[in-house]
This record gives sequence, C-alpha cells and structure tokens, in this order.
Amino acid sequence: MLAGLPCFAFSSSYLFFFEAQGIAGYSTALKKAVYFSISQKEAMQKPSLGFDYVQRFSGASGDFAVLAVQARLAVNAEGERTLEPQLYNAYLKLKTRAVDIWIGHNRPKFGLSSSLDNHGQLLQPLSMNGLGFDRDWGVGVEHDYAWGNAGISLTTGSGMPLYFKGNYFLSGRYSRGILNQDNHSVGFSVGYGNVLDVMGYHLMSETPMEFYAAGLDFTVLRNNLEHRLEFMAGGLDRQGIFALFWRTSVGLLEESRLKLEAQPVIVFTKLKAQVQFSVGATYLATADWTLRAMVQYDEEMKDTRFVIQVYYYKGIRL
Amino acid sequence: MRKLSYGILVLLYFAALLFGAVGCDLNDPDRDVKRLFPESTGYKTIYVSIARKGGEALLRRIEERLGDTFKGLYETADVPYTMYQVFKGQELIGYIHGVNQKGQFGGIQVFLALDLEGTIRAFYFQKLTNQSAKLLRDPAFGRQFVGLNLKDFMPYNVVTGQVKGESRVAAIKNPAPEAESDFRAALRATKKNLILCDEFLLGNRYSKIVSAGGAAYPRTPAANEWWVGGSLARTDGDMP
Repeated sequence: MLAGLPCFAFSSSYLFFFEAQGIAGYSTALKKAVYFSISQKEAMQKPSLGFDYVQRFSGASGDFAVLAVQARLAVNAEGERTLEPQLYNAYLKLKTRAVDIWIGHNRPKFGLSSSLDNHGQLLQPLSMNGLGFDRDWGVGVEHDYAWGNAGISLTTGSGMPLYFKGNYFLSGRYSRGILNQDNHSVGFSVGYGNVLDVMGYHLMSETPMEFYAAGLDFTVLRNNLEHRLEFMAGGLDRQGIFALFWRTSVGLLEESRLKLEAQPVIVFTKLKAQVQFSVGATYLATADWTLRAMVQYDEEMKDTRFVIQVYYYKGIRL
Repeated sequence: MRKLSYGILVLLYFAALLFGAVGCDLNDPDRDVKRLFPESTGYKTIYVSIARKGGEALLRRIEERLGDTFKGLYETADVPYTMYQVFKGQELIGYIHGVNQKGQFGGIQVFLALDLEGTIRAFYFQKLTNQSAKLLRDPAFGRQFVGLNLKDFMPYNVVTGQVKGESRVAAIKNPAPEAESDFRAALRATKKNLILCDEFLLGNRYSKIVSAGGAAYPRTPAANEWWVGGSLARTDGDMP
C-alpha cells in the first residue's frame, strides 16, 4: 500500500556541495610559478577547499525564505604561506508576494556580474577589475517579471570584508530578456557611492573614494556560441573611467564539454588604457571534475600568466 | 605545505564517496510557477536524487522504464533533482519539474507542469540555444504535449524515435525539421521527466506499463522493489 504514496520522505530542503580546487601557473613578469589566477591579494582563484550550502524554508503553503552560505579556505602560497578564510554567499532571502528581499553578503545589483556565476571560473568580469563588486555586504530588493528582472541594492562598498568608514554603494539593474528562454538579455545598471579600494580581503586605502557609473550589458546565445558584452562609464576617485568587457565562447564536443573562450577587457582611466586579454579553455571531465586553463596578458603589469585549474564540486548528503 | 597537500588529498578521497552534479532549476520559480499555474499562491522546493531514494537498483529500473541507459554529465544516480510542489493556499494542486538532456548544441532543459494525476498541463524549454529554437519554443509546439501522461510516452522508443502501437505521442509534429536531433531530445527528456516524476512525486502510478525498447533492459530482481517510507516494499499489485 505504501508503494502507492508519493515518497517525499526521500526529499530534502537543502543542497550542500563540497568544493576543492588546485591552481598553478607561471607569470612572465614574476618569472616564477604562481598559485593564483589574478593576484594573491584577490580572493579568486587560489588553491582552496570550500562548500556551498542552500537551505530552503517552507511552510504549509510554500517556500518563504532561502539561506545561502558559500565559503572557502584558500591558501596564500606566495611568501609566508597563510590560510585565508573567504566568505562569498552569506545571505538570507525572504520571499514576499511583491519582491524578494535579501540581507547579508551577496551580489550587488550592478553590472553583468550580478547575473553571472563566475565563482569557479578563471576568466572574470569587470567586477574583478575594480568596477563594482563580486560580492558586497548589505541589503537588496529584486523582482522577476515576464520580461526580465529589476532590482536595487544598498551595500557597504567594501566587497569581501566588512568595513564602516563612511563607505556605501547604492546600485540598481534593469534587464530585459530572460537569457535561457529568449537566448538574449540586455541589462542597464547605475551605481553611486563612496567605496573602499579593496583587493579581496586587502584594504588598499583607508579613505573611501567617490564612485559613480552607468553600464549597459548584452548577452546572446546562439547554437554553441555565447557572447557577453559590457560597457561602463563613470568616475572613480574624481577620474573619468570607461570600461569595455567582451567574452565570446564556443562550446564543443558532446554536451559542450569543451568550452573555448576569449575575453578582452579595456579600462580607460587617467588618460591611459589598461588592456587585458585572456583566452581560456574549460573541459568538463566528469559531472564533478572540471579542468580549466587560461592565458592572460596584462599590459599594465607587462605580464603574461599561464594558469591551470583542477576544480571539484560534489554534493554531500548530510 | 606538504601537510596541507596531504590534507587536501585525504579530503578529496572522502569526497569521492559523496554524491554528484547539479540538477535543473527553474531560472525564476516565482515567475514560472505563476505562469504555469496562474491560480497558485505558492510553491515548495524539494530536492531528490536516485542515489538517495534507491541507489543503483532504482537507477536500473528507471533506465528500464526509459528504454535507454543514463549517460553523460547529467544522467547519474547522484544528480539532485529540483522538484516544485505547487499550492493554492494550503492545497497541493500540481508539480513542476525540469530535466537536463543532451541536445544538438550542448544541453537542453525541458520543463513539465503536471497535475496531481501526472498529466501534462504545460511543456516548455527553459534552455535551448538551437537557431531553430523559436519554432520549438512556439506555444503551438508545447500544446501538443498538453493532456499526455506517462502512459502515452511508454510506447515511445527513445533510442529509435519510433512509437510501438498506438500512442498520442505519434501525433507530435516537429515544426523545425533542421532541428530533428533537438526534437528527439525533447521527447526523450519528456519521457525521462515523466518517469522521474512518477518515481518521486506520484508514487509510481504508471509503474506497470512496459516501455518501448525496454526489452533491451530485462527486469532485474531489484526492479520490482524500492525504498518506501524507510523500508523496502514490494510493488506488485499497485497499479495506477
């Protein structure tokens, strides 16, 4: 008789994933092996162990909240080796009939990076080039519509660490098109605040800088091709700033197991252009193991980095 | 550093005992649930996996019902499936579930909205990047699936694309002949989706219907039994 009943006893309301990654490369500027993808001071990517946890809360009539916690313990291999705890997602999202409201450490509503999952990737968007934040502490409100998404966030403008030095960042993004359904989306972002100059968990200056910007981003999917393009213009610390980001990807092999990417990033500041050009390859070896490689040329640093990553991501039954 | 490396290796060894890749979520459940069930007032998200419910024995039975083996990145026993129970007030009124399926250009994602009997009330692609996607996403294509259930799909052979005997699935027309492989992938995904919903949500209402192509997957001793309520229960005699 029991066999005729739905088996919700085997269901759960959470997901818990274990994550591990190894990173190694070579820097032509440093003339030695490196164990990071961008910089040791940046949070991503470094050899690390971590987890990703999502817990849904529901009552008799459905879900009402989501808790997300995503953290890593990374290794700083340069100089005196240290371990760096890193907290990415750490937010509670409350669902109301009108909007979703989150509080904690999450993606601020600004730019393409607010809708791009780059947690395990080597190639990074503009938020990792000093324009906006990959994660920030604060609150946000958003709503998904039949035509896209709109939302705003008020965050501390301090990125990974939490500081209160008169810093804040108010931003919003409006997007048209639902990428997976329409195969295209267009986003418009604005942001204003006094933000701190941070690299990962490193505070580069005690004094907040005025930052304001408007950005336009486009994403298009067609067959096995993906294009992501973002323009941003504004001011940072009383200097005009203009940035261009373009990532184009092609998926190859069955299930697009192999993805090849090219990504130029140009940031014009203080009457000079910082050019960064990257090419990358991602191979999904199994459902759990991913291999990535990247070659990145950074004109300002006069550096070419060759980086490989072994990435592992697997669910745990608690 | 060497101690840390050993530590990482040990953790990776134990991690290999864990379960697998990410399943298929609605991009925006709030919007999609309301669109698929306009009368709904809420939904509840649950996570299930073949490994958790019945392991290899259940995987074999699902493959037998599908008439094909599970393969690729998203067809493993440990993939967590995200299923949505849809409510009107406190009354359960239906389900939504999506699956990943190997398509012509990478993966496609096929979602079904089902009533409590397991009958399709909406079909749609969440992810489909084929340049003919517009034709396959046309509501007229999705409407061909409305009213069908697993009983209709069991005569459909997902390997050959043929229908054995009478089935309303034979009447489903491909509006984009140049996207035949994605059309076939969509039918396979729909049958797989319905089987998973039957296993995890409907209490195996349709478990006694033999699949076309199933002859290639003879029933194993474990195929008639699975974990229910914490104990292994026989299912003989339970019919929809």
